[in-house]
This record gives sequence, structure tokens and C-alpha cells, in this order.
Amino acid sequence: MRHPGDGLLRRLLDEPDGVADSDRSHVDDCATCGPRLAQVSGDALDVGAALSFDGDVDVDAGWERLLAGLENAPARPVKRRGRSVRTPVVAVAGVLALLGGASAAAAGNWFPIFRTEQVAPITVPQADLVQLPELDEFGTMRVESRPEVRDVGDARAAREATGLASPRITDLPTGVAGQPRFLVGDRVLGVFTFDRAKAEKALGRPIPEPPAGLVATEFRLTAGPGLAAVWPGNSGAPALMIGRVVAPKAFSNGIPFETARDYLLSLPGLPTSVSSQLKAFTKEGGTLPLIVNQASESSFTTTVGKAPATVLSTSGGAVSAVLWVQDGFVNAVGGSLSTGEVLRVAREIRWAQ
Amino acid sequence: MPASVRSDLEHIFRAAYPKVVGVAARVLGSRNEAEDVAQETFLAFGRTDVPAGEALGWLCVAAAHTALNHLRSGRRRAVREEAASASPGVSPDVAETVVAREEHQRVRAALSRLPRRQAVALVLRHSGLSYAEVAAALDLSPASVGTTVRRAESALREELNRHASSR
Repeated sequence: MRHPGDGLLRRLLDEPDGVADSDRSHVDDCATCGPRLAQVSGDALDVGAALSFDGDVDVDAGWERLLAGLENAPARPVKRRGRSVRTPVVAVAGVLALLGGASAAAAGNWFPIFRTEQVAPITVPQADLVQLPELDEFGTMRVESRPEVRDVGDARAAREATGLASPRITDLPTGVAGQPRFLVGDRVLGVFTFDRAKAEKALGRPIPEPPAGLVATEFRLTAGPGLAAVWPGNSGAPALMIGRVVAPKAFSNGIPFETARDYLLSLPGLPTSVSSQLKAFTKEGGTLPLIVNQASESSFTTTVGKAPATVLSTSGGAVSAVLWVQDGFVNAVGGSLSTGEVLRVAREIRWAQ
Repeated sequence: MPASVRSDLEHIFRAAYPKVVGVAARVLGSRNEAEDVAQETFLAFGRTDVPAGEALGWLCVAAAHTALNHLRSGRRRAVREEAASASPGVSPDVAETVVAREEHQRVRAALSRLPRRQAVALVLRHSGLSYAEVAAALDLSPASVGTTVRRAESALREELNRHASSR
């Protein structure tokens, strides 16, 4: 009989009833599996001791504290783990990184393989979002330049720091007042190289043979610089934010991007529902996938100027954002506003050089 | 309590709070900080419509992710170190305190380097969730929970051994 895997031995320690009788008998009688079980048991005990926690928890005090927190918290509907517009933005960063890796200014025969031309939403269930793998678990990511997001004094300083136009809006939405803060971020540059062994370790299983040349290919992503004007609100979330970032671009010095993307998306760590949807984007070319957390945000598409745009809102509509890509920039307007208000602002912005 | 907060929150809180604090404390090594994470988790949960039957898994996964995020960001490193030195049960002897603090930091650093799913599965299992509960919470098959937990323990053991042999 084949020796059972380590996972089964581990379960045998905790829940022997969950293991088949034949496997239990085998482990009892097997000269190989006995020492393996002892090793598994030893590791489990040591790690259990290292992670032990026996502090008393005062539930009554905890409840009083929570009540106070609820009274003071902004009345913002939240579903599942999604938080305002951060979830899709974070997911976009993760998926973009997975697709293209990051970038570096290495000279040579780089050729552009992905360019953001429009934003299109993909909806995925919350459970899938949590499972999106982190890129550094699939290879090596060499970040050569970080955005260094920082406050600057005013719109002029923001323009000077980034070389970008700054937004002007004359008719602020109701409830938004005063002067905005200006934030700027530098261009991000990084290089990603796929590593099969790391990917298998991260996914916990063997993966299909990579396409020829993938391992030797460097993928690079550039994004930014960017700037944002932020009007603070009372709830902690910005009342209004208007920003633009030079659109991400991905490059490869080896195998075609679509070959690499199809392979990466077929890996078992990425849910099938997402990978099949993402593959569709190759036909359109240059679409920035935007993952929407199904449980906490809703979305629809419209236009800003002549550009296609995606509008997101939390389920209660308390936080909304609109994103669109035009002339090589990803633009966003968001805040504690209705979708109608963010769209109106988006359509009325004037960009001043 | 605000009307927008779910009506069964107190019942669920009283049943699950110690477990949720325990999950965060295993990641962070500090009860005080773990209670902060648990509060943050329940504040978010209070405004959800997650079915009561799925609440414990949701809360534990959310607390584990939040605590791991704190570890990775290093936002609260200074607080964590202070808390570790003041944890109940730590010997007042200075040398022992230093060793205990180093051990805390080493374990947490190793935990933060694990693949995220392995780290969460490990913490949930050592917090007393059954294989079925871990599987449901992480959308794994029960059979793969053992494999995931074992890989995490093996990697953590390796990290701890590597450090011990270099001392």
C-alpha cells in the first residue's frame, strides 16, 4: 500500500475519526510511517507551543468597548470584508501585478505588451478575492522604484512634482467644502520573474509545465506618477477625492504577454471563474481589469466624456467612485457621495496644467 | 445600539469574542493588540448580513487577515514589542524577558513569511477550529486542510530551527 501523505498524518493527530480505517491501520503497522507521524506530531506540538495564548479575555469589557465604538463609528454600510473602494483598488493592483509583473527601466528590446485603454469590471465572490495569490509567492519581484506618496503644499507643487495637470472643480457637491490636500506619488518601477518552484510552494501542489521561455522572461510594469486632491470628511473617509495616475503599462522581454497571461491565469490558485473572465480581455486588448467584490460593491458602466467608465458603489451607496481611462491616464473620482454626484464631478473637472 | 447594526450582534459577540481575540493573539503575540484587532473585526461584522451560522468562520478569517496585515505592515511593531515584554506569564527576570521577546518576534516574523492561506489555516487550526470549520472558512476541502496546516508547521519549524542553529 502507498504511504499516506503528510496531510493525512497531520489529520490523524487531530481528528483520527476523519481518517479512513485502512490508513490508520497502515500507519500503525508501517515502519516508515511511524517515524513520519512522530515528526509531524513533534512539529505540531512545537508550533502549538510557539503560538499558544492563554490570556483571559474580559467579554463584558469588550462588549462595552464595542458598543462605544459602534456609537462613534460612521453609519457606513459594510458587507463582508469589503471596505469602501479600497477592496477593488487593492485587487486591481494584485491582478495587474500578476498579469504583467512590475517594471524597470532596463534598456534593450522591451516591447509593450499591455496598455491600459479602458476599465472593465469583473465581479468575483468574496471568497475568491481572499484567495488571490500574492505575486511575490509566484516568483521574484524586484521593485526598483517606489511611489513615495506624500503631501505637497498646493496644486502648483503637485503639478511640479509629477508633471501632470491638476484637477479644478468649481461646483463642489453638497457637504464638501474648503481647500483640498494634495497628494503626489512617483512612478513605480519593478521587474517580475516567474519561479515555478515558488509558485508550486505557494499553491501547495504541482502546476502545469510553464510555456517555453516563461522562466527566462522578465515582465515589467510601470505606473504613475500620479496626483490627487482630497477634501477631508468627518467619517474618516475622504468626502471627495479626485486623482489621476499615468496608466499602468506592462512589458515583456521574452514570450508574448498573452501566452504568459493565459498560463498564469490557468494556475490552480486563481479561481476558474476569474481566470476565464480575465482571458476574455485579451480579445479587447488593453483593458484594465477591475475586480469588484460582489458582496460589497456594485458597479455599472457609463461614459465620462467619450471614454468608457466604471462606476462603483458600496451596497448602501454611501461611498462611490468612478474610474475611467483617457489619453493614457487612469482617472478617478470618489468619496462619501452618491454615484450621481461622483459622475457629475467627473464630467465637470477641468485639468489645469 | 445604532439601528444599522445587526440585532444578533451581542449574542454572537459574547459567544465568539474570546475565540476571535485568540486568533489575533496567536498572530500578534500580544493580547492588547489582539483585542484591538478583534474590536475592529466586530465593528465591521456588525454592519454585515453574514448569516449567523457562518459568523464564527467569517470573524476568525477576518481577524487572522487583519492581524497578519498588521504584522506585515509593521505598523504596530513598537506597540507589539512593548506588549510582548509585558505579557502575563513572562518572567520578571530581565534575561528571560529578553529571550521571550526574541522568541515572540521570531515566531511572528516566520508567520508573516508564510503564504497567506497557510498562515491563516495554521492559526485557525491552533485556535481550535475543526478541520470542517477551517475548510468552510477558507473554501478548502477538509482533506486539504491537513496538508495546508502541515506545510505551514513544517515551514515554521524550519524557520525556528534555522534561527536556533545560528545562535
